[in-house]
Formats: sequence, structure tokens, C-alpha cells
Amino acid sequence: MATATISHEQAHEHVTEQELWKGGRSPFKAGYGKVMMWYFLISDTFTFASFLIAYGALRFTMAENWPKPAEVFSSIPLEMFHGVKAPLVFVSIMTFLLIISSYTMVRAVQEGYLMNKKGVVKFLIPTIICGVLFLGCQYLEWTHLINDGVTTTTASATTKVVNFGQLFFVITGFHGLHVLGGVALLLWLMISTMNGKFDQVGHYEMVEKIGLYWHFVDLVWVYVFLCFYLL
Amino acid sequence: MGFEVPSEGHLHWTESEYNESRSAVLKTIIILSVVTVVEVGIAMIYDHFVPSGNGKIFINMFMAVASVVKVWYIMGIFMHLGHETKGFKTTVLFPFLFLIWAIIAFTMEGNSWNAMRGLLNAF
Repeated sequence: MATATISHEQAHEHVTEQELWKGGRSPFKAGYGKVMMWYFLISDTFTFASFLIAYGALRFTMAENWPKPAEVFSSIPLEMFHGVKAPLVFVSIMTFLLIISSYTMVRAVQEGYLMNKKGVVKFLIPTIICGVLFLGCQYLEWTHLINDGVTTTTASATTKVVNFGQLFFVITGFHGLHVLGGVALLLWLMISTMNGKFDQVGHYEMVEKIGLYWHFVDLVWVYVFLCFYLL
Repeated sequence: MGFEVPSEGHLHWTESEYNESRSAVLKTIIILSVVTVVEVGIAMIYDHFVPSGNGKIFINMFMAVASVVKVWYIMGIFMHLGHETKGFKTTVLFPFLFLIWAIIAFTMEGNSWNAMRGLLNAF
């Protein structure tokens, strides 16, 4: 009978029947905060997805006139590379910054599970540096495009349509805002770790939660990169 | 795999779980880097040798599949979704089915607008 099963599990997990009826056991075997972080990320996925699908729909409405990414992003926005034709090089560097930061982030999470405070800080520092460098690259890219005459109300000779600038600045801007928020969270995480906050709490689940958010930022960039630069 | 994702009652890893997870992550970062390099390489070669844009649809299909592969690895290994319970995987992944519908619906909508633009210009 059902009661027999419950009492068996009770014995196994030390949860009384009353606690069980109040939701004393997590059905997903995961902490509340972590599950909620996933649900937040799902909702955020839908926000980004609606932006990118709007990009796709608008692009299809002017299929022949849509600018070619290789022409729009044909140069590296740095003084010393002025006039050098190198399509996709700069944005590949940005992509690699996020991939590397994702790796160091997951390493920090792993060190957290070993309760290794120094290891967590050691891997959070390069993660934050990569995030800041990414934002710096985005600043250069934006400045370069704005100097070319691409804004949310104007188009340049290569972008041809105003919609391109609008979608580009809104979508990469929204993504950049997420990176900025991620950097702030990581800074807070690093300072809290240094202060021994998680040693007091007894576990480093917060590193995993903020890590999930940081990987999400990388994940969205995969699709921003796909839509704006590769397709 | 031999390690569990740490959960409420199990927030710490043993040395062997740590090592196993570490090698899984190292493998993933290599796969992600290689896929990105191949994507960018193919895009550059294509733009350089085929300026007319013939057969772009096949390049696009490849890029879309490569991106799904990257996201699969980021979610599965980096975000540990592969190690969560089956119920949790379902609640996270199921809503994305709606996106497949949305992509098909809105690209068709865009195509239809483009076709209508031609009609409008005729008047």
C-alpha cells in the first residue's frame, strides 16, 4: 500500500510523513534556489528567443535586401588594424572569451564541491576578467558601427536597412546587459567567497547557481553569434 | 557517468567524482572550441570563394546544427542538466518545443510579407 512505501522512504531519507505532505522532499533532488534559477533561465530564453525570432521574421520580409554579415563586420575595430579586411575575426575572439570564461566558471563550481575556497577564487578571477574583456570588445564593436553610421534610426552603405541596426543594438545590448549583470554577480560571489561566507553556510551551492546564469549568457551568445554573424 | 550532480543531501564531492567531472569538462571545452573554429573557418572560406552566395542554405543548415551541438554540450555538461533527474530534464526541455513552432510560424510570416511586398509594388 501507499503508506507502506512512504514509511520505507521515510526510513531512508529521515523525513516524517507530515513533512512529506508539506513537500518535505524535493522531487527533483535539487535545491530550491537551483530549480528556480533554471526556471528563470527558461523564461529568459523565451525573451531572447522572441528577439531572435523577430530578427528572423524581419530578415525574411526583405530577403534580398538584407545586408551580408561578412560585409558589415568586415574589419577589426582597433586603430592598428585600420583598413585590414578580416571578417569574423574580432567576433570569434569575443566568442572564445565567453567559451573560456564558461570553462573557468565550471572549474570554480567543481572546486566549490570540494570545499576548496582558494580554488573557487582562483577560477572566478579569470571568469570575471573574460567577462569584462567581452564587454570591452562589445564597446569597440558598437563604437565602430556607430562611427560607420549604423544606429537605431540610420543605416550605413553596407547595412542598407534601418532594421538591421535596430535589431543588432537591441539584441546585443540586451545580451551585454546580461553579461554586465553576470560580472556584478561574480564579483559579489568572489568577495563573499573570500570572506568565507560559504564555509559558514557549509556548502558552495551559490557558485553553482551563479554558474548556471553565466553558462546561460554563453549559451545565448551561441545564438546571437549564429543569427548575426554566421547565417 | 560515475558522479552525481550535488543535490540537497549531497553537496560535496569526493576526489574521484571531482576528477571524473574534471575530465568530462575538459573534453567539452575542446569540443566547443573545435566546433567554433570549424564554424568560423567554413564561414570565412565560403565568403571568400563563393561571393555570389550560391548554396548558402546548406551552409546555414550546417551552422544551425553546429549551434545545437554547442548548446547541447553547454547545457548537458557545463550546466549539469545531463545529471539531473528525468523529471527535471523534462520540465526544463519541454517548453523549448514551443520555440520550434514559433520559428516555423514566424519565418513563414516573414516570407509571406516579402511576397506581399511584391504585390503592393505592382499597384
